[in-house]
Amino acid sequence: MRMSRVLFAAFLVVLAFTGCASGPKYAEVRPTLASPAPSQGRIIFYRPSALGAAVQPDIKLNGQKVGTAKPHGFYFVDRAPGNYEVTAATETEKKLTFTLEPRQERFVRLKIQMGLMVGRIVPELVDRSEAESELKDLAYIPDPLK
Amino acid sequence: MRSVARWALVVAVVSVGLAGCAPEVTRRPTQMTAVTEQPAGTIEVMHDASVRVGPGYTRTIPHGSLWTSIGRVTEGEVFKPVDRVFTVEGTHVHEAYLVLDGNRVVGFYLPVERAFAPMEGRAETRLSIQRRQR
Repeated sequence: MRMSRVLFAAFLVVLAFTGCASGPKYAEVRPTLASPAPSQGRIIFYRPSALGAAVQPDIKLNGQKVGTAKPHGFYFVDRAPGNYEVTAATETEKKLTFTLEPRQERFVRLKIQMGLMVGRIVPELVDRSEAESELKDLAYIPDPLK
Repeated sequence: MRSVARWALVVAVVSVGLAGCAPEVTRRPTQMTAVTEQPAGTIEVMHDASVRVGPGYTRTIPHGSLWTSIGRVTEGEVFKPVDRVFTVEGTHVHEAYLVLDGNRVVGFYLPVERAFAPMEGRAETRLSIQRRQR
Protein backbone atom coordinates (compact mmCIF):
# COMPACT_ATOMS: atom_id res chain seq x y z
CA MET A 1 0.00 0.00 0.00
CA ARG A 2 2.80 2.33 0.99
CA MET A 3 4.75 1.40 -2.13
CA SER A 4 1.83 2.28 -4.36
CA ARG A 5 1.60 5.70 -2.71
CA VAL A 6 5.28 6.32 -3.42
CA LEU A 7 4.81 5.24 -7.02
CA PHE A 8 1.79 7.51 -7.36
CA ALA A 9 3.74 10.45 -5.96
CA ALA A 10 6.61 9.72 -8.37
CA PHE A 11 4.12 9.53 -11.23
CA LEU A 12 2.72 12.94 -10.31
CA VAL A 13 6.19 14.50 -10.19
CA VAL A 14 7.11 13.02 -13.57
CA LEU A 15 3.79 14.21 -14.99
CA ALA A 16 4.35 17.71 -13.63
CA PHE A 17 7.69 18.09 -15.38
CA THR A 18 6.84 16.31 -18.61
CA GLY A 19 7.01 18.77 -21.46
CA CYS A 20 9.02 21.38 -19.59
CA ALA A 21 11.45 23.39 -21.70
CA SER A 22 15.11 22.43 -21.57
CA GLY A 23 18.06 24.40 -22.87
CA PRO A 24 20.42 27.19 -21.86
CA LYS A 25 19.14 29.42 -19.09
CA TYR A 26 18.15 33.07 -19.55
CA ALA A 27 21.14 34.29 -17.54
CA GLU A 28 23.51 32.50 -19.95
CA VAL A 29 21.66 33.40 -23.14
CA ARG A 30 20.81 37.03 -22.45
CA PRO A 31 24.31 38.49 -23.05
CA THR A 32 24.59 36.62 -26.35
CA LEU A 33 21.31 37.84 -27.83
CA ALA A 34 21.53 40.60 -30.40
CA SER A 35 19.43 43.68 -29.70
CA PRO A 36 16.39 44.22 -31.90
CA ALA A 37 16.87 46.39 -34.98
CA PRO A 38 16.52 50.13 -34.16
CA SER A 39 13.15 50.24 -35.87
CA GLN A 40 11.79 47.24 -33.92
CA GLY A 41 10.79 46.26 -30.41
CA ARG A 42 11.03 42.89 -28.67
CA ILE A 43 8.32 40.85 -26.96
CA ILE A 44 9.55 38.15 -24.58
CA PHE A 45 7.14 35.37 -23.64
CA TYR A 46 7.78 33.15 -20.63
CA ARG A 47 6.02 30.62 -18.46
CA PRO A 48 7.62 30.29 -15.01
CA SER A 49 5.39 27.59 -13.55
CA ALA A 50 5.24 23.85 -14.25
CA LEU A 51 1.77 23.62 -12.74
CA GLY A 52 -0.65 22.22 -15.30
CA ALA A 53 2.27 21.26 -17.53
CA ALA A 54 0.01 19.31 -19.87
CA VAL A 55 -1.75 22.57 -20.81
CA GLN A 56 0.43 24.07 -23.55
CA PRO A 57 -1.81 26.09 -25.84
CA ASP A 58 -0.65 28.01 -28.88
CA ILE A 59 0.29 31.60 -28.17
CA LYS A 60 -0.84 34.04 -30.81
CA LEU A 61 0.32 37.59 -31.44
CA ASN A 62 -2.24 39.58 -33.43
CA GLY A 63 -3.77 36.29 -34.53
CA GLN A 64 -0.50 34.72 -35.69
CA LYS A 65 1.03 31.80 -33.82
CA VAL A 66 4.42 32.66 -32.31
CA GLY A 67 4.92 29.63 -30.04
CA THR A 68 3.33 27.63 -27.26
CA ALA A 69 3.11 28.05 -23.48
CA LYS A 70 5.91 25.64 -22.62
CA PRO A 71 6.54 25.44 -18.84
CA HIS A 72 9.88 26.77 -17.57
CA GLY A 73 10.68 28.21 -21.00
CA PHE A 74 10.98 31.56 -22.73
CA TYR A 75 11.28 32.88 -26.27
CA PHE A 76 11.00 36.22 -28.01
CA VAL A 77 9.90 37.85 -31.23
CA ASP A 78 10.96 41.19 -32.72
CA ARG A 79 8.21 43.26 -34.20
CA ALA A 80 7.54 46.70 -35.66
CA PRO A 81 6.20 49.34 -33.25
CA GLY A 82 2.43 49.32 -32.89
CA ASN A 83 -0.48 47.78 -31.05
CA TYR A 84 -0.39 44.12 -30.10
CA GLU A 85 -2.81 41.51 -28.80
CA VAL A 86 -1.70 38.25 -27.19
CA THR A 87 -4.09 35.33 -26.92
CA ALA A 88 -3.82 31.80 -25.60
CA ALA A 89 -6.51 29.42 -26.79
CA THR A 90 -7.56 27.42 -23.74
CA GLU A 91 -10.88 26.75 -21.97
CA THR A 92 -11.58 30.48 -22.03
CA GLU A 93 -9.59 33.05 -23.91
CA LYS A 94 -8.11 36.00 -22.07
CA LYS A 95 -6.54 38.63 -24.31
CA LEU A 96 -3.75 41.00 -23.40
CA THR A 97 -3.37 44.25 -25.33
CA PHE A 98 -0.35 46.55 -25.20
CA THR A 99 1.76 48.90 -27.28
CA LEU A 100 5.30 48.35 -28.52
CA GLU A 101 7.78 51.13 -29.21
CA PRO A 102 11.08 51.02 -31.13
CA ARG A 103 13.84 49.30 -29.10
CA GLN A 104 11.38 48.63 -26.29
CA GLU A 105 11.30 45.24 -24.59
CA ARG A 106 7.96 43.91 -23.36
CA PHE A 107 7.70 40.94 -21.03
CA VAL A 108 4.63 38.71 -21.22
CA ARG A 109 4.19 36.13 -18.46
CA LEU A 110 2.04 33.13 -19.36
CA LYS A 111 0.34 32.33 -16.08
CA ILE A 112 -1.58 29.12 -15.49
CA GLN A 113 -4.97 29.56 -13.85
CA MET A 114 -7.16 26.61 -12.97
CA GLY A 115 -10.52 26.59 -14.78
CA LEU A 116 -13.65 24.49 -14.39
CA MET A 117 -12.41 21.52 -16.40
CA VAL A 118 -8.80 22.26 -17.23
CA GLY A 119 -6.23 24.98 -16.63
CA ARG A 120 -6.06 28.05 -18.81
CA ILE A 121 -3.20 30.34 -19.71
CA VAL A 122 -3.55 34.02 -18.88
CA PRO A 123 -1.05 36.39 -20.55
CA GLU A 124 0.14 39.20 -18.27
CA LEU A 125 2.26 42.27 -19.01
CA VAL A 126 5.07 42.36 -16.44
CA ASP A 127 7.65 44.92 -15.27
CA ARG A 128 11.20 44.23 -16.41
CA SER A 129 12.56 43.78 -12.86
CA GLU A 130 9.88 41.24 -11.93
CA ALA A 131 10.23 39.42 -15.25
CA GLU A 132 14.02 39.19 -15.09
CA SER A 133 13.93 37.69 -11.59
CA GLU A 134 11.50 35.01 -12.84
CA LEU A 135 13.31 34.46 -16.12
CA LYS A 136 16.80 33.76 -14.83
CA ASP A 137 16.29 30.01 -14.40
CA LEU A 138 14.06 29.48 -17.41
CA ALA A 139 15.23 27.69 -20.54
CA TYR A 140 15.58 29.42 -23.89
CA ILE A 141 13.41 28.06 -26.70
CA PRO A 142 15.26 29.16 -29.87
CA ASP A 143 12.64 27.88 -32.28
CA PRO A 144 9.27 28.22 -30.54
CA LEU A 145 7.27 27.26 -33.63
CA LYS A 146 8.77 23.76 -33.81
CA MET B 1 -20.08 17.01 7.86
CA ARG B 2 -19.64 15.29 4.54
CA SER B 3 -22.39 17.41 2.98
CA VAL B 4 -20.68 20.60 4.24
CA ALA B 5 -17.44 19.47 2.64
CA ARG B 6 -19.32 18.65 -0.56
CA TRP B 7 -20.92 22.12 -0.65
CA ALA B 8 -17.56 23.76 0.06
CA LEU B 9 -16.13 21.88 -2.92
CA VAL B 10 -19.02 22.97 -5.14
CA VAL B 11 -18.59 26.61 -4.07
CA ALA B 12 -14.83 26.43 -4.69
CA VAL B 13 -15.29 24.91 -8.15
CA VAL B 14 -17.94 27.47 -9.12
CA SER B 15 -15.78 30.33 -7.82
CA VAL B 16 -12.81 29.16 -9.85
CA GLY B 17 -15.04 28.79 -12.88
CA LEU B 18 -16.57 32.23 -12.50
CA ALA B 19 -13.15 33.83 -12.20
CA GLY B 20 -12.88 33.27 -15.95
CA CYS B 21 -16.23 34.97 -16.60
CA ALA B 22 -15.49 38.49 -15.34
CA PRO B 23 -17.29 41.20 -17.32
CA GLU B 24 -15.24 43.35 -19.65
CA VAL B 25 -13.74 46.63 -18.46
CA THR B 26 -16.28 49.42 -19.00
CA ARG B 27 -14.89 51.93 -21.47
CA ARG B 28 -15.80 54.47 -24.08
CA PRO B 29 -13.89 55.81 -27.08
CA THR B 30 -11.97 58.99 -26.47
CA GLN B 31 -9.44 61.17 -28.19
CA MET B 32 -6.24 62.13 -26.47
CA THR B 33 -4.55 65.41 -27.18
CA ALA B 34 -0.81 64.85 -26.88
CA VAL B 35 1.40 67.09 -24.72
CA THR B 36 3.56 69.34 -26.85
CA GLU B 37 5.68 70.82 -24.06
CA GLN B 38 9.14 69.31 -23.68
CA PRO B 39 10.22 67.97 -21.32
CA ALA B 40 6.81 66.68 -20.27
CA GLY B 41 5.71 67.00 -16.65
CA THR B 42 6.30 64.08 -14.32
CA ILE B 43 4.71 63.15 -11.02
CA GLU B 44 5.99 60.91 -8.25
CA VAL B 45 3.52 58.96 -6.14
CA MET B 46 4.40 59.43 -2.48
CA HIS B 47 2.24 56.71 -0.91
CA ASP B 48 0.90 53.37 -2.08
CA ALA B 49 -2.65 53.60 -3.38
CA SER B 50 -5.02 50.80 -4.24
CA VAL B 51 -7.32 51.34 -7.21
CA ARG B 52 -10.12 49.25 -8.68
CA VAL B 53 -9.23 48.60 -12.29
CA GLY B 54 -12.07 46.35 -13.34
CA PRO B 55 -14.87 44.21 -12.00
CA GLY B 56 -13.25 42.45 -9.04
CA TYR B 57 -9.70 43.51 -9.85
CA THR B 58 -7.46 45.97 -8.04
CA ARG B 59 -3.94 47.26 -8.61
CA THR B 60 -1.53 49.05 -6.32
CA ILE B 61 0.05 52.27 -7.50
CA PRO B 62 3.30 52.00 -5.58
CA HIS B 63 4.99 54.83 -3.75
CA GLY B 64 8.04 56.07 -5.60
CA SER B 65 6.53 55.28 -9.00
CA LEU B 66 7.00 57.94 -11.66
CA TRP B 67 4.40 58.88 -14.25
CA THR B 68 4.91 61.20 -17.22
CA SER B 69 2.18 63.43 -18.55
CA ILE B 70 1.61 62.54 -22.18
CA GLY B 71 -1.63 64.34 -22.94
CA ARG B 72 -5.21 65.11 -22.03
CA VAL B 73 -8.59 63.51 -22.53
CA THR B 74 -11.90 65.16 -21.70
CA GLU B 75 -11.86 63.61 -18.23
CA GLY B 76 -8.37 64.68 -17.18
CA GLU B 77 -4.62 64.52 -17.66
CA VAL B 78 -3.07 61.27 -18.92
CA PHE B 79 0.04 59.89 -17.19
CA LYS B 80 2.12 57.04 -18.56
CA PRO B 81 4.19 54.94 -16.13
CA VAL B 82 7.96 55.36 -16.33
CA ASP B 83 9.93 52.06 -16.49
CA ARG B 84 7.00 49.97 -15.34
CA VAL B 85 3.75 48.62 -16.69
CA PHE B 86 0.17 49.21 -15.62
CA THR B 87 -2.88 47.25 -16.74
CA VAL B 88 -6.62 47.14 -16.16
CA GLU B 89 -8.46 43.84 -16.15
CA GLY B 90 -11.87 42.34 -16.74
CA THR B 91 -12.58 39.63 -19.28
CA HIS B 92 -9.31 40.72 -20.86
CA VAL B 93 -6.19 42.58 -19.76
CA HIS B 94 -5.35 45.97 -21.27
CA GLU B 95 -2.29 48.16 -20.92
CA ALA B 96 -3.46 51.41 -19.32
CA TYR B 97 -2.30 54.86 -18.27
CA LEU B 98 -3.63 56.88 -15.33
CA VAL B 99 -6.11 59.69 -15.88
CA LEU B 100 -6.02 62.28 -13.11
CA ASP B 101 -8.15 65.28 -12.34
CA GLY B 102 -5.76 67.12 -10.06
CA ASN B 103 -4.68 64.33 -7.74
CA ARG B 104 -7.94 62.36 -8.07
CA VAL B 105 -7.87 59.16 -10.11
CA VAL B 106 -10.82 59.45 -12.48
CA GLY B 107 -10.01 56.48 -14.67
CA PHE B 108 -7.61 54.99 -17.16
CA TYR B 109 -6.61 55.60 -20.75
CA LEU B 110 -6.26 52.45 -22.85
CA PRO B 111 -3.71 53.26 -25.59
CA VAL B 112 -4.46 50.28 -27.82
CA GLU B 113 -8.23 50.71 -27.68
CA ARG B 114 -7.98 54.54 -27.60
CA ALA B 115 -10.61 54.49 -24.91
CA PHE B 116 -11.30 55.89 -21.45
CA ALA B 117 -12.21 53.45 -18.68
CA PRO B 118 -13.76 55.21 -15.68
CA MET B 119 -12.79 54.18 -12.14
CA GLU B 120 -14.89 51.31 -10.83
CA GLY B 121 -17.04 51.88 -7.77
CA ARG B 122 -18.11 54.99 -5.92
CA ALA B 123 -15.08 55.36 -3.68
CA GLU B 124 -12.85 58.28 -4.57
CA THR B 125 -9.13 57.68 -4.80
CA ARG B 126 -6.75 60.58 -4.38
CA LEU B 127 -3.04 60.14 -4.85
CA SER B 128 -0.39 61.76 -2.75
CA ILE B 129 1.79 63.15 -5.53
CA GLN B 130 4.72 65.42 -6.00
CA ARG B 131 5.03 67.23 -9.29
CA ARG B 132 8.48 67.48 -10.78
CA GLN B 133 9.68 70.43 -12.79
CA ARG B 134 8.89 70.53 -16.45
